[in-house]
Amino acid sequence: MSFPPPFSRRRMLQTAACGFGGLALADLVHAASPTATQLPGFMPRAKRVIFLFMAGGPSQMDLFDPKPFIRERHGQKIDSPLPPQVIQVGTEKYLALREMAPVRPRGESGMMISDLMPHLASVADEICLLRGMNADNPQHASATNQFHTGVFTEVRPSMGAWISYGLGTENQNLPSFVSIHAPGVRTYGSGFLPAAHQGTPLTVPLNEQTLPIENLRNASPSESIQRHRLNLTQRLNQSLAESVRGDANMEGMIQNMELAFRMQTTTPRLVDLSNETKNTLELYGIGGGKPSDRHGRACLLARKLSESGIRFVQVTMDGWDHHGDIRGNLPRLCAQTDQPVAALLKDLKQRGLLEETLVLWSGEFGRTPWSQDLSGTAPIDTHGREHQPESFCAWMAGGGIRGGMTWGETDHMGYNVVSGKVHIHDLHATMLHQLGVDHTRLTWNHLGRDFRLTDVHGSIVREILA
Amino acid sequence: MRNLVSALFVLIAPTSFIHASEPPKFTEAELTFFESKIRPVLVEHCHECHSADSKILQGGLRVDHRAGLLTGGDSGAAIDPDKPADSLLLKALRHDVFAMPPKGKLPDSIIRDFETWIAMGVPDPREAVTGLTQRAVSLEEGRRHWAFQIITDPPVPAVSDSNWSLDPLDHFVLAKLDAAGLRPVADANRHVWLRRVSLDLTGLPPTPADIDAFVRDDSPDAYAVVVDRLLGSRAFGERWARHWLDLTGYADMMGTSNNVFAEHAWRYRDYLIDAYAKDKPFDRFVREQIAGDLMPAGSPEEQAENITATGFLMVGDVEIVEPDKAKMEADHIDTQVTKIGMAFLGMTLGCVRCHDHKFDPITLPEYYGIAGILRSSPATHKIPFGVWSRLNATDLPETSEQLAARTKQEAEHEAHLAAMNNERSQLETEKGSVLEELKKLEQAASAGSETVEANKARAESLTKRRDEIAGRQGTLGRLIQHAEFFRSKAPRAYAMHDGDQPADMPIYIRGNPYAPGAVVPRSAMLVPSWEAFPEIPAGQSGRLQLAEWLADRRNPLTPRVAVNRIWQKLFGEGIVRSVDYFGTRGDLPSHPELLDHLATRFLQNGWSQKQLIRDLVLSRTYRLSSTNDAASAAVDPDSRLLWRMNPQRLDAEALRDSLLAISGELIASNGGPGLVLEDVDNCGDLVQAGVNPPNYAHRKPRPGQEFQRTIYLPVLRINTTGDDRIRTHFDFVNPAQIAGQRSQTVVPTQALFVMNGDLFRKRAKGLADSLLAESPETGTRLEQLWLRVVNRPISDAERSTAAAFLTELGAMINETDSAARDSLAWQELCHSLLASNEFLFRL
Repeated sequence: MSFPPPFSRRRMLQTAACGFGGLALADLVHAASPTATQLPGFMPRAKRVIFLFMAGGPSQMDLFDPKPFIRERHGQKIDSPLPPQVIQVGTEKYLALREMAPVRPRGESGMMISDLMPHLASVADEICLLRGMNADNPQHASATNQFHTGVFTEVRPSMGAWISYGLGTENQNLPSFVSIHAPGVRTYGSGFLPAAHQGTPLTVPLNEQTLPIENLRNASPSESIQRHRLNLTQRLNQSLAESVRGDANMEGMIQNMELAFRMQTTTPRLVDLSNETKNTLELYGIGGGKPSDRHGRACLLARKLSESGIRFVQVTMDGWDHHGDIRGNLPRLCAQTDQPVAALLKDLKQRGLLEETLVLWSGEFGRTPWSQDLSGTAPIDTHGREHQPESFCAWMAGGGIRGGMTWGETDHMGYNVVSGKVHIHDLHATMLHQLGVDHTRLTWNHLGRDFRLTDVHGSIVREILA
Repeated sequence: MRNLVSALFVLIAPTSFIHASEPPKFTEAELTFFESKIRPVLVEHCHECHSADSKILQGGLRVDHRAGLLTGGDSGAAIDPDKPADSLLLKALRHDVFAMPPKGKLPDSIIRDFETWIAMGVPDPREAVTGLTQRAVSLEEGRRHWAFQIITDPPVPAVSDSNWSLDPLDHFVLAKLDAAGLRPVADANRHVWLRRVSLDLTGLPPTPADIDAFVRDDSPDAYAVVVDRLLGSRAFGERWARHWLDLTGYADMMGTSNNVFAEHAWRYRDYLIDAYAKDKPFDRFVREQIAGDLMPAGSPEEQAENITATGFLMVGDVEIVEPDKAKMEADHIDTQVTKIGMAFLGMTLGCVRCHDHKFDPITLPEYYGIAGILRSSPATHKIPFGVWSRLNATDLPETSEQLAARTKQEAEHEAHLAAMNNERSQLETEKGSVLEELKKLEQAASAGSETVEANKARAESLTKRRDEIAGRQGTLGRLIQHAEFFRSKAPRAYAMHDGDQPADMPIYIRGNPYAPGAVVPRSAMLVPSWEAFPEIPAGQSGRLQLAEWLADRRNPLTPRVAVNRIWQKLFGEGIVRSVDYFGTRGDLPSHPELLDHLATRFLQNGWSQKQLIRDLVLSRTYRLSSTNDAASAAVDPDSRLLWRMNPQRLDAEALRDSLLAISGELIASNGGPGLVLEDVDNCGDLVQAGVNPPNYAHRKPRPGQEFQRTIYLPVLRINTTGDDRIRTHFDFVNPAQIAGQRSQTVVPTQALFVMNGDLFRKRAKGLADSLLAESPETGTRLEQLWLRVVNRPISDAERSTAAAFLTELGAMINETDSAARDSLAWQELCHSLLASNEFLFRL
């Protein structure tokens, strides 16, 4: 018949009321469980995740998976592998489009990486390149939802929220999930999970006007006036709380007022990079005028947040949606992101953190081997590429993933995966596994059903585990 | 009934029994191979989910007999003897399509055995055992669940103190409290009750005049007078329409991608406000939203209303950019079926798109029976923009007055457009002569003419004029494009309309439109049905019949679900806490007899929502204080048994609307478009064809719009800004979601919003300035402030605290002008009170 939910709503809210507190599920957290060591092969290999989200869909063929078949037929028509019912715009000619720059073997493993990413190429032996990534939807919004939540349209918790729920927080003074330059509320939302697990969106301020968190600037003429105002509010709250005792939401608001007040000073300090050494700033490519400045700051901040114990830090770098002039646009995006991303890996490594930090780099999908030209008349060298969820590339590093490994192959043109397919669900399952969480047991009961990040799918990609 | 059920099973019975009917002959060696290599694996790894013994047969597949494998399940044959290597079973074992067994891939050697076995021709002596498991949950078993049983009229129970009750419903509550040995707390005082009922019914706090009138009224009708006033206000419709919108996925955008505007969506929102304001009977309300366009109407207004109501099935997150249109259609139908299931029936029908429901007695043929009805009324069409589609809209009938007004408006529009075109062609002519003269001057200059100085001045002025013309032409171009795009002013609504060929549809195996299974008749859910679904006349979609079925008095779900939703809005939690899910895994009702008592009264009162709300808020139970009681709290901390009223945090709309009302800045609205499409700066490129359709950005609100109630603000799916941020921060239901109850979250970013956000800051200033203007006396101002914000008199202690606060603040503010200092000090005081829990919550 009916089964009570594992936590009462009010209990849940009490937990939520502790501000950024987490709801740790002891039986899922093997790090904290002495019996966990008895489970062979299921020790957590990672404590936290940094997800570098390349919004828009980077072109895997240009960066990691070049195809001689395409190169040789540059500008010529190739056979379309698409099912006939799919409408195409600007790709009807199916012209092969060669890679934008040489893609060469790197490191000891000979992993293929483009000349457009020299910094990443220098750390090739740290990363595991996944060339058989697979998703189910060719549209940005749906594919982004799937990458973050496992499904396209329903509103479900994002992976950071699931991880926060499953592992709780390492640092009581910080949120367990932060999303830097988040592309939309659904990528950091907690869905049906308690709101304490939703991501805190953060902006890296590049000037005085930008606030790292909305409404962080004191609205009163001075801090003392604001404090005075807040004291009166809290005095009123206190007297109300004495008559209405035991209301978790009211108590939560009282605590959060104080936390919010403190955040006004702690958050700017957190995002302040002015005390970083010159070496660090140079490593990340931070500096006025440098193309890598913005993402460099974001990556450095991600390292700092992760180091301080935040379970899931996401950095979004957008602009990869190259429908046109990919020859001009792709090098620019690489110049903005390559050095910061590689610096993050180097920095984690030199601090001894890479072993326990799982870094994931991916877009929501990849791009077609054939060209796209929305005008219908442009020369081939100014064409772009259309979305492609059937196959694309992602990489992982650290957190118990094998470095210097290339996993997964696509067909002759780079459309279908022929081996080593890693679906989004598999990626999620593997990520949770590295954190010591069984993806089939991390559930939340909603509308009578136990929901999972991996829905009813997902298998762990054991081949890539160190 | 039973015949109908077996008829359905016949229809969905797989058709490919050909292989099974030929008795196969195999060699001893082949059968030994099966017995030693294959059968043990099937038993160990597959039988749990795919045999006659399975508790729940997964995917309709049985592997416990040969025919079961050849016939397959929902996904088709597991073994294809013609193409052995392509057999689904092998793909599943290799984890290519499905990953089987789910616990982990079997060793390669075993998979090779299966390859060999299939290549042999599937030697397998097993025959089917009887006891075919078709339903996860049988109908008979399913009917035993409380929610599917007919609604009863339970006798009003005896209680310890019958004087306590103000309404029979109170008896049901007190009886439960008696049984648990709990005593209800005392009544809330009049101020608390008035604030509570005003916010719950209208989303606005009482004014000082409302408070005064109620507190002075010592007649026995005093409470009822208040309730009738509130129920009679348009504000009631504005409040309760928003509750319903949470169940629809409403937004002023069609899908999530590219901000494609849904310019007619507001008509459905206005329909709801009107429906609640005039207390449209709920059964009628249900029928109109499913099949209003098919219902008879006595006037053009009524017909327009009926058509607009079907917007229920149109609004929502429709992925109109999906390049596979069959998939898009199937997805949209799924949102419609899901919405009907959740909003009216409290059932998770969406689960049944791919497989029989795991917990509830709902099968694939029932889902596709409803889906077939909806598919018979196509909802979208392809447009000349890349891969995009758009929601279908219907022209609404007009009265002769409306038509006359529109004709006049259109004439004005055309005249304006003509004037702009005229100006543009004049400018074009002028530009020609300016350029010609400039050219001549240039030639003269290069020829070294004597009048160089004079020419220079003339050339400068001509150049200036040339640039002015270019600027104005640019502006005009955009304005003309805008005027041409929005040329037709015929009122339209996103609405359902029966297609040319209404028909039954096939089951989509695993929800995949390219894997059609058996065709199933259009119908509704079986378990709550009281008789066979009526015949759908030829040429009709069946929406009318579905509407009648949903709104029938004999449907056990619709009235219970509706009554429970209303209860939840007033008491915080439903009698059934899972308001959107009455299935077997949902919560049991805390007061089952009370739920049926209320449902019966609801039906007796002609499905009147207002009557039900009136009865509930005039009850003793609703009148209780929210003061705590340690002894009761120890037994029942959540007050599930209703010994006290649980405080509720104001939702986003009530917060913003109350702030505007209190500061005196609220502007009334009669509805209309939330999108400000008439401002060209809010619109992207307005072409008639291209890669992407025109989009919208809410850059410039309509004058006054930022002071209207929140329900009138456009609902965007992405990139909310400005005042709208309050919805993002305070638990607004994401418009891609449907949910009958919002979560009440408590996170620090809300505290930042209250403490520093513009909305609170500006309303505090508005409130301070109006208090300062109203009275020169600090004491009077303080009394007014408390009355307006927390709707009760200020206490002596608070009076002295506030006065001291103002004095202290006066010394802290670095401002020489005394009026400015006062204004700021009062703003801080107002802000302080607006940030207090007594304002943010209703007790």
